[in-house]
This record gives sequence, C-alpha cells and structure tokens, in this order.
Amino acid sequence: MRKLQTLAAAAVAVTLLAGCGGGSASPASSDGASSAPAGGSGETLVVYTNSNGEGRGDWLTAKAAEAGFKIEIVGAGGADATNKLIAEKNNPIADVAFGLNNMYFSQIKAAGALEPYEPAWAGDVDKELADGETYWPLVKQAILLGYNSEKISKDAGPRDWTDLWTKDEFKARYERVTGLGTATAQLVFAGILSRYRDDSGDLGISDEGWKQVEQYFRNGSPAVAKTDLFARIASGEVDMGQMPSSIIADREKSFNVNVETVIPSVGVPLAVEQIALVKGTKKKEQAQKFIDWFGSADVQGEFAQKFNSMPVNKKAQAKANPDVVDFFADLKQQDIDWEFVQENMGAWVEKIELEYMT
Amino acid sequence: MSGTSVRSMARSPFVLVVGAVLTWFIAAFLVWPNLNILLATFFPDGSFSGRAAEKLFSSQRAIKALGNSFLLAVALSVTVNLVGIFIVLVTHYFRIRGSRILFLGYASTFIYGGIVLAAGYKFIYGDKGIVTSLLVKMFPGMDPGWFSGFFAVLVVMTFATTTNHMLFVANALKGIDYQTIEAAKNLGASPWTILRRIVLPMLKPTLFAVTILSFLTGLGALSAPQVLGGRDFQTITPMILTFTNSPTSRDLAALLAVILGLATILMLAVMSRLERGGTYFSVSKVSSALQKQDITNPVANVVVHAAAYILFAIYTLPVVLIVLYSFADGAAIQTGQLSLGSLTLDNYSRVLTQQSGLRPFIVSVVYSALAALIAVGGLLFVARLLQKYRNWVATAFEYLLHIPWILPSALLALGLIVSYDHPNPLVGGAVLTGTTVILLIAFVTVKIPFTLRMLKASFASVNSSLEEAAAIMGAKTLYMFRRILLPLVLPAAAAITALNFNSLLDDYDTAIFLAHPLVQPLGLVIKANTDGAEGVEGVANTFVYTVLLMVITGVTMYLVYGRAGRRGTSPKRGRALPPVSSAAPPPAVTAVSGEDSKLPAAPAR
Amino acid sequence: MIRLDNIEVSFGDFTAIPNLDLHVRPGEFFTLLGPSGCGKTTALRTLAGFIQPAKGTVRVDGKDVTRLPSDKRQVGMVFQNYALFPSMSVWENIAFGLRVRKEKPADSDHLVRDIARRVDLSDEQLAKNVAELSGGQQQRVAVARALVLRPKILLLDEPLSNLDAKLRHQLRQQLKDLQSEFGITTVYVTHDQDEALAMSDRVAVFNKGVVEQVGTPQEIYDHSATEFVCNFIGDSSALTPDFVAEVNRLSGADLLTDANSYLRVEKASLNADGGTVVGLPGTVTSRTYHGLHSRYVVHSHGADIRLLLREDGSPQPEPGSTVTVYFQPAHVLQYHPETGAALQREDQAVRLP
Repeated sequence: MRKLQTLAAAAVAVTLLAGCGGGSASPASSDGASSAPAGGSGETLVVYTNSNGEGRGDWLTAKAAEAGFKIEIVGAGGADATNKLIAEKNNPIADVAFGLNNMYFSQIKAAGALEPYEPAWAGDVDKELADGETYWPLVKQAILLGYNSEKISKDAGPRDWTDLWTKDEFKARYERVTGLGTATAQLVFAGILSRYRDDSGDLGISDEGWKQVEQYFRNGSPAVAKTDLFARIASGEVDMGQMPSSIIADREKSFNVNVETVIPSVGVPLAVEQIALVKGTKKKEQAQKFIDWFGSADVQGEFAQKFNSMPVNKKAQAKANPDVVDFFADLKQQDIDWEFVQENMGAWVEKIELEYMT
Repeated sequence: MSGTSVRSMARSPFVLVVGAVLTWFIAAFLVWPNLNILLATFFPDGSFSGRAAEKLFSSQRAIKALGNSFLLAVALSVTVNLVGIFIVLVTHYFRIRGSRILFLGYASTFIYGGIVLAAGYKFIYGDKGIVTSLLVKMFPGMDPGWFSGFFAVLVVMTFATTTNHMLFVANALKGIDYQTIEAAKNLGASPWTILRRIVLPMLKPTLFAVTILSFLTGLGALSAPQVLGGRDFQTITPMILTFTNSPTSRDLAALLAVILGLATILMLAVMSRLERGGTYFSVSKVSSALQKQDITNPVANVVVHAAAYILFAIYTLPVVLIVLYSFADGAAIQTGQLSLGSLTLDNYSRVLTQQSGLRPFIVSVVYSALAALIAVGGLLFVARLLQKYRNWVATAFEYLLHIPWILPSALLALGLIVSYDHPNPLVGGAVLTGTTVILLIAFVTVKIPFTLRMLKASFASVNSSLEEAAAIMGAKTLYMFRRILLPLVLPAAAAITALNFNSLLDDYDTAIFLAHPLVQPLGLVIKANTDGAEGVEGVANTFVYTVLLMVITGVTMYLVYGRAGRRGTSPKRGRALPPVSSAAPPPAVTAVSGEDSKLPAAPAR
Repeated sequence: MIRLDNIEVSFGDFTAIPNLDLHVRPGEFFTLLGPSGCGKTTALRTLAGFIQPAKGTVRVDGKDVTRLPSDKRQVGMVFQNYALFPSMSVWENIAFGLRVRKEKPADSDHLVRDIARRVDLSDEQLAKNVAELSGGQQQRVAVARALVLRPKILLLDEPLSNLDAKLRHQLRQQLKDLQSEFGITTVYVTHDQDEALAMSDRVAVFNKGVVEQVGTPQEIYDHSATEFVCNFIGDSSALTPDFVAEVNRLSGADLLTDANSYLRVEKASLNADGGTVVGLPGTVTSRTYHGLHSRYVVHSHGADIRLLLREDGSPQPEPGSTVTVYFQPAHVLQYHPETGAALQREDQAVRLP
C-alpha cells in the first residue's frame, strides 16, 4: 500500500516537473504569449551569465519583461558557464550569453559555439575591446591592487604588484589567491606574466616571469575561504590585495574601511564583460533583438547607475556614476595581447597550481 | 551460498527482466558517458598521453596535497571511530543522564556540514573566536591562531562526520543479543571487558564500513582544509575542482580522481578481506533487546558524563552560532563581531523574496525526492538479486554499478552531455541535453553506489526462510518481494532514501551542467547568492540557506527516524514481528559512496 | 543449597513475582515449570543476579547473595539461545571467564581442554567458530563455558526451546547426563512439561508469579495440588457433576459433585482389568489412530471422557458404538471451584518452608 502511495507521489512529481519544464529540447512552449511590443513571439530566451549576483539577475529579468522579453537567467561562475556553453555546442540550450570576459569568450569562440552578429549598438563601443565579430563589449572592469589607506599613506604605498614581494614592508601584508579558478585571479596573472613574454621561455614566459609568480605565492598571506578580503583588511590581518573596480565602493561601506588603488606604470588589466549570440539558437531573431536592447545606451546606462559599473557604450556613460566614469577616464589600460593570454592561460593556471602555489 | 550458477539465474523471468533493464541502464548511463569523457581526456588525439602523470608527479604541491589528503583520511579513520563509538555508547549503551538531549546534540551533524560547519567552528575556536578570546584572557601568552592546520582540520572533520556512527553503529548496537552481555557478566567480566571483548567485536563489520566512509571523507576533504588548513595543510580536492573546470587540465583532474578512486577500491577490498574472517552476528535465533548499562565505577561514571557533555557543547555550539549569525549582517559574520541588537530578519526576507522565491526549493525537493526514490526503488530489486546470486555475472554488475564512485560528479555530468547532446540510439534516439530528465539521471547515478551497498547489507540480514515460506504458499516473485521482503528492509530503505535526499538537495556540481534552464535547483541559486566575489550579502545568504536546508533535512530525518522511532517503541509491533525485522537497518554496510563523503562539503562550493 | 525467601520482583507497576519462597537441595536437578509469562524466568534471573528483587533474600550455600552481582554468586548460566560470543572461537568462548579471572594461560588451556573433553567436544571443534557448530554442539559449548568456572549452581534458561523435536529429545538426555556426571545443583527453566517430568528431581510449577506446587514429577502429576497444575501437566478430561454423582452411586465413593473434577486420560480404560474399578456406559464419539495407540472420546453423562487404547491387534470399537469406561474412583482429581485447591488429599506434596 505504502509503495503504491509512493508511486503515486512520484507520478505527481514527474508531471509537475514536466509541467514546469516542458520536458523537451526546446524549453519554449511556456504559457501565454506576453504582450510583446519589442520581442514579438513571447518565447523564453535562455541567458547564461556569471553576472547575476547581487540582484543583477532579478533586475535584468524584470527590466527585460517590461521591454517585452521573457528571459530566464542561468547563473554560473565564469569557468562553469564557459564549460557549459562548450559542452552543449551540439545542442545548445542557451540563446544568449553575457558577462563573461574576453578570455572566456575567445575560448567559447574557439570551440565554435558562438554565432557572429553585429548588434545595433556596435558603433557606440570600442571594437578593440572585443573580437569585432562574435562577442561585443558591455562593461569594463579594472583589476586593481588596493591597499588600506588608513594604515598606509599614499607615499608609502606600493607602486606596482611586484613591490609586494620585493619590498619587505609588504611581504605577508598582502592577500594572495589560493586558487586560479576566478576570472579576477586569472587577469591578475595575465597582467603580471604578459610583462615577461619570452617566446623561448616555458609557456612563452621568461624565467624571470615565473620567478615573480613564485615570489608572489611565497610572500603573500593565503586567502581564506568565505572570508572577504575587505573583512581581512578591516580586522588588520592583511592590508592589501586584488580587487575588481566595481565592488570597491560597496565593500568600503560594508566593512567600514578605506581603500586606495594602485595604478602601475604599465597600466591596469581591464576585464571587459561581453555579450554574444549562441550558435544554433532556435530563437535567433529574438535573441538578436535582446542583444540590441540590452547593449543599448539606455539599458546599459540604467544598469551602470544601479550597479556602479562602467559601461563601454559611450552614450551610456552619461548615466553612469560620474566617479566611476572619471576613474576610468584617468585609468591607464595595460596593453595585453589577449590572443596570447587566451592561448596560454590554461597551461599557466595548471603550471601555477602545480608548481608555485604552496 | 557461494555458487549460484549463471544458468540457474537465467531461468527466472524476474531476473531476466531486472537484468535487461539493469544492463541497459549501466551501458547507457554508467559506462558509455564516462568512457566517453575518460577517452576524451586521456586520449585527446586518439593516442594515450602520459602528460598528466608526468605533470602531476613532478609537482611538489600536488604530491604534498595528495599526501595530506591520505594523511587526513587515515587519521580521520581513527579519530572518527574514537569519537563516534564514544557518542554511540553514551547515547545507546551506557545509562547516562540526559542521553536524549545528548543524542539531539550529537545528531546535529545530520543536518548541516560543509563550509558553514567549518565557519561555525572558526567562530568559536578561530583567532577571534569566542573560546579563543576566553583562553587568551586566561593565558595571555597563547597564540590566538592555535586552531589551524592539520590539527584543526582533523578536529572539525572528526566532529562533523560522526553521522554515520550515529546511524549505522547505533543500529548495529541495538541488534546485539543482550544475553551475550549477561553471559559475560555472569562469567565475571567487567563492563570494560564486556565492551572490549564482546560488544565491540560484534560491531566490527559496521565499524569497518564506517571506517571506509571516514576514509573517503578524509580523501575528499574540501571545505575544512580551505577554511582551517592554513598554508601548511591543503588537500587535493580543491585542485581537482580547479582542473575539472579547465578544459586543458581536465586530464589532471581525471587522473587525480582515478587515484582517489583506486585508493577507495583498495580500502574496500582490504576491509572486505578483514571482514570475511569472522562471524559477528549472534548465532542464535532468539535474541533479547539491549538494556542500558550502568557504569559501576563512580569515578569512571563522572568522567564519562563530563566527557559526554563537553562533546555535546562542542557539537551544538557551532549550530547555535550559525543560526544566530544567519540573522546578522554580512560584515558582522565575516569579522566575527556579533551583538544581539544587530540581529534582524533582513537576510531571510532578502533570500525568500527574490524573484525566484521558493521555486528553487520546490524544484530541488522534487528532484531530490524523485532521484532518491528511484535509486532506492530500482536498486531494491538489484540489491536483492546481487545478494541472492553469487556468480561472475552478478559480481561484474556490482563492480560496474560502482563507477560513479570513481569520478567526480562534474566529470560525470560532462560525460552525460557529451554522450547525449545528439540523438543516441541508447536512449531511443532522443536528445537528452536540455531536458529535465538528464539531471534526474545524473542524480540517480551518483547515488547508486551508496544505495546499493546499504541495501545489499540490509537484505543480507533478512532470514532467507521467510522468502522460502512465502514461496511455498504460492507467492509470486513480485508479490513476495512486495509483501515479505519490502516491509523488512523498508526502514533501512527509508533511511537511505532520506540520506540520499538530503545530500542531493543543494547539489551544485551536477546541476550547473545539467539543470534545465527553467527548472533550476537550489544549488545554483545558492551559488549565485553566496559566492564571496559577489558581495558581502553573499556570506549572510550562505548562512540563511544553511539554516533553511537544516530545516528541510531536519524535517526529513524526523519523518524517517522520528516515525521509525515511534514505531519501534510500540510494543505490539515489536513483538509481533520476527526478530530480524526489529533489527531493521543494515547491520553490515560494506561501503558508502565517495559522493556522500563529500556530503559534509555541502552548501557552498 | 539455594533458598529464595519472600522474594518480590516488580517491573514498574507490574509485579511479576509477589512473594516467592523456594528451596533447592544440593545436587538436585530442580525445574521451574510454567507457561510463558508465569515468572519462572524472572525467578531464575533473580537467582542469577540479573534482577534485583524489591524484597526478600537469596541465599546460596547459606550465604546471603541478594546484593551480590551475578559473577560473585558462583552460579553458571546457560542462556536460552546459549549467548555464545559470535566473534570468538569455541576455545575462546569457554576460556572467556578464565581469562577474565586472569588465570595463567597454561592453566586456562588445561581447564578448557579438560572440560571440553568431559562435554565431548573435540580439539578440532575447539578451534572452530561457534557459527560452524550444530545446535547440540553449541549447547555443549555453553554448558562447558558455564562449568569451567566450577560454579556451585548451574542455571539453565529454556536451553532446548529453539531446537527441533528430535534434537530436543537427544539433548535433554545429554544435559541430564552431564548434570549427573558433574553432580552440580541445577535449576532448569522450561515451559515443556514433558521435559520437566523426564529430567527433574523436583519441579516447581509457576502460575502468575506464584508457585502452585513443588514436588517430584510423580507427585505433581498424580497428585496435582491445584486445578492449574492438573490442567497444565498431563492430559485429563473434565467431569460433569452428573458423571461424578453416577460414580458415587455405582462405587459408593465419596466424591464431591460440586467440585471441579478431572480424570487423567491414561487412568481410564475400556477394559475392566481388576482393582476397584467402576464402569460407566457411554458412546464413542471419535477415534484417532496414532499407531501405537488410538485416542478415543467417549460421551457419558454429559462428560467427554478421553482415553487411550493400545493398538494390540484386537478389534477396536468404532465411533457410534456403545462402550463402558472403567477407572478407579480414587483417580478422580477434585478441586475447589473457587480456590482451585485440591480436595480430599491425604498425601499432599510437601510444601517446604
């Protein structure tokens, strides 16, 4: 008897799931066509992103609905989203992907999972920030070295990443990463290693470059899982570490600390979050419309306003936080050969994980 | 017992049907996808590449981390047994005042684990922790960072993983024939001698089984070393996860996983060899129920009581703090500063009023429940057959069903995608990616090894004459299974279902690759809301989700164990059934899944 | 040897034994007999020291052991299921108590082998695991384990109850032989009256925590002291007042018609072979053939008289035929309808203080 009940419950549950999901390869046939002035058909677009945290996903879903797009956001870390897009290339589920940086998108492109598309706003962005073919830039993010300005004066502060391990006063005072899974960490190393490019060296990097990496790991204070760098700065455990530009203002407030950032003479690595059309999407036309809408000056402006980001779209910059815009205006961008970085990053990460991380 | 011939097995239509379904399932979902992904990683260009081994063994860090993982596994096998046996004895064997309360405290590891558990311990013993502050006041010269490294990791993981003892050793203890204890008493044995010479030897098979589990937990340690290991004690699992996510380094991940898998299998083999030596279960047909023992020595009694309550405090403090901190703001959690006035419901309203709201909870509950039921339901037949028939075919099937143990779940998921993102005749020409079914398949497969081992063990305790009796009365195989065998293994099956359910609730590794975009389970939402890089609130959200998960898993455990307990106390039922049934859940658990060993590494990865 | 005085045992609200007095003589095979739940095992466990009585004293060999733990009482016990330690070999099982006492290994081994020989266990069997032994061998191990410590008393708690009928008969004899060989005072618990009658020197019949009768097997059989004992032991037919009145009329006996009266099956016959017999006519209502004998039910004066007829080849009456039932009026057992106590008993079994 009990077993029968269990079976019945299972049957109900299956129906429920099937009802939710449609149970077919196209998750499209959802109920009721929405009033869709811009989007048209009211089919749900599946959007992969790593940029859905801190309410961004919910905000975007709501905004898109106002504009007549029904979207479903699938959030995943940069590496996970990349792997997923590549793994699904024969039968894609996503229609659009955004938020991943150029390094990730160039991997996806290399795997043949992106469809070329030139958005309506292509003219408003700096094509140099992307490949000009399949993925297009949305938001700029500077990967910075920041230090506690209450403890260290501007004169006494570090001038470049390399100061951290060459000057005794910074040794053990900076946080170093314990894994290279995050985009931020990879960009930091892209910035450091690019300076030591040597085609005869191991993985295109001179011995001197690898020595820097070794020193970085030897002298830093390892990051602590689930403890934010700002929390460690606040408690005095460490005084400095890597940070993406967009989070600084927010964290300063939360942890009640003040942070000054370092602009090395070679410049700062910029991560540029991109958007792209997924190859093989069954809702191509609508997905293109969504890209046009999301990258437009209006939407990017609002997004920048809300989340303190630095839009790439020149027209949108008017709406963005002026402090942010000013900061980026003064910022010297480090000249990085992204193709070279993308080609080697996997091997670099592996080498660092195996040989230098202690 | 040992040699049922393959031919006789093939004569039963029941066996043939189950065998056919099983063969298809194993071929389609265990062998083919994983073979695909392993071939892709080890034979990238069609020829074998020894690159991974070369890289790995020349890396000092990898070797050290691997060594640490093994060290932890071995140490944990010892310490978990010490603490686990102690808590089982004080809750089930000795007459200890307040043993019910103690039980609840010790059972707290049933409902939480992973990074939050490690964080909970850090709040107490870490450099700014409550206990550390107290100690530093008392001994000013003390190092506030005393609680870190191997020692801290071992302590935390020891207390975090006694769950299996509470479940399985406690159960085996209940199955001991009390008359043997009385006989020993009558022969003049002291309580200590009885414990050492009579009780513990009878628990050996279960202790072997939980030792394997502890070993696996140590090997797969993730969050405790990350939080508490410091520079000197890092383990291999974080490296495996990093390499799994990097297509160019995936061969390293696969190799490391295979190394751990081989260690697991070696451990299994050693334990089964040890176990084979003896008889551990009462040879009698009538047994009497265990009665609690007084500790006659007053000094020992005081010491045991004190130790029991100190352990109780160690077990419960982190839970209490986690619940408290879930009401505090993110910055307070991260800096460890807590004032009662700053506790608000903000975290909960933020988590529960997101646009996705309760939906991920429902999706996860449905997925986990379905997967748990299917795994247990399907394997009930399989486990019965494997337990009944011992020949090479059965052995081969059994080994194949352990495949999910060897590979990390992310690789299993990738294997499924690579194999079923195009029409595949193995599944009737359907495309599985992008459907709601594929995640369910993955959930079911990862739970197979654990479920199989547990079910097989519980079938082993069923008296075979019952089945024969039913057969003589003309019962058909299925009917007999349903009416005779099922009720007997049901308590064990329910417990296994509950454990499976709980461990799948917050899965991220598989869901991230396989979840249907419109039916996203909780793990993805948790990840999105808790990643350190995505805001201060993330950490607060982690705590909220942990507490919410504690509630769900707590309710599940209550439904299974609370109800089973009530049933057990009803004298009518206890008497009416033959003794085999009262000793319900598995007396011998030969091994449990590596996946479950990661159970303590749950909520956030 | 063993004296239980005024023993009261309660479990919570339930009083298992209200007030028990028992005396077991040295060297005696003494059986506690009764249906399940009658308190016989409770009495044995009180004697063994597993249960603390609420009142009363337990003496062994004149010494008050009421408060002593089990192992200080010099009693050996064989449990219902033998309670052999499954994780140990036969040798280890027997040597367990010796090793607990820290006897020298050489002495232990000597003692174990000696006792094993006496209970007929071979050296080869000593090395075996207990699970590899047959039921009878397991029993001998259990007995050896208890006896190796040279207890003053051996307690046996239904040691035959789990065995099949044939083995039970065989082991019954084996146990009895062992007991007489060792000459040890033995207290035996059973619900099987057959076992009790065949093995015991004396039997105490328990009912609801109270001893109904203590006596030799023959005493409790032939002169059951209470109606309960009469019904529990042996097989008898209940007689009607009408029937008893007719017996009185025919024989001039002095039986009470309003008492509860019984006649044992083997005391009735269809042949009048001498003695002071009385014969009552009746009708055969059923016959069951058993090979050695047949069981008959004869209806007479409202009573169904059951009796056995030896199958010696002579012609036997069939159901429906009219027969005469013969028996001695002195064999009629009579009990007080309210108290259940035996009536007109001159040779009452001695109830010891």
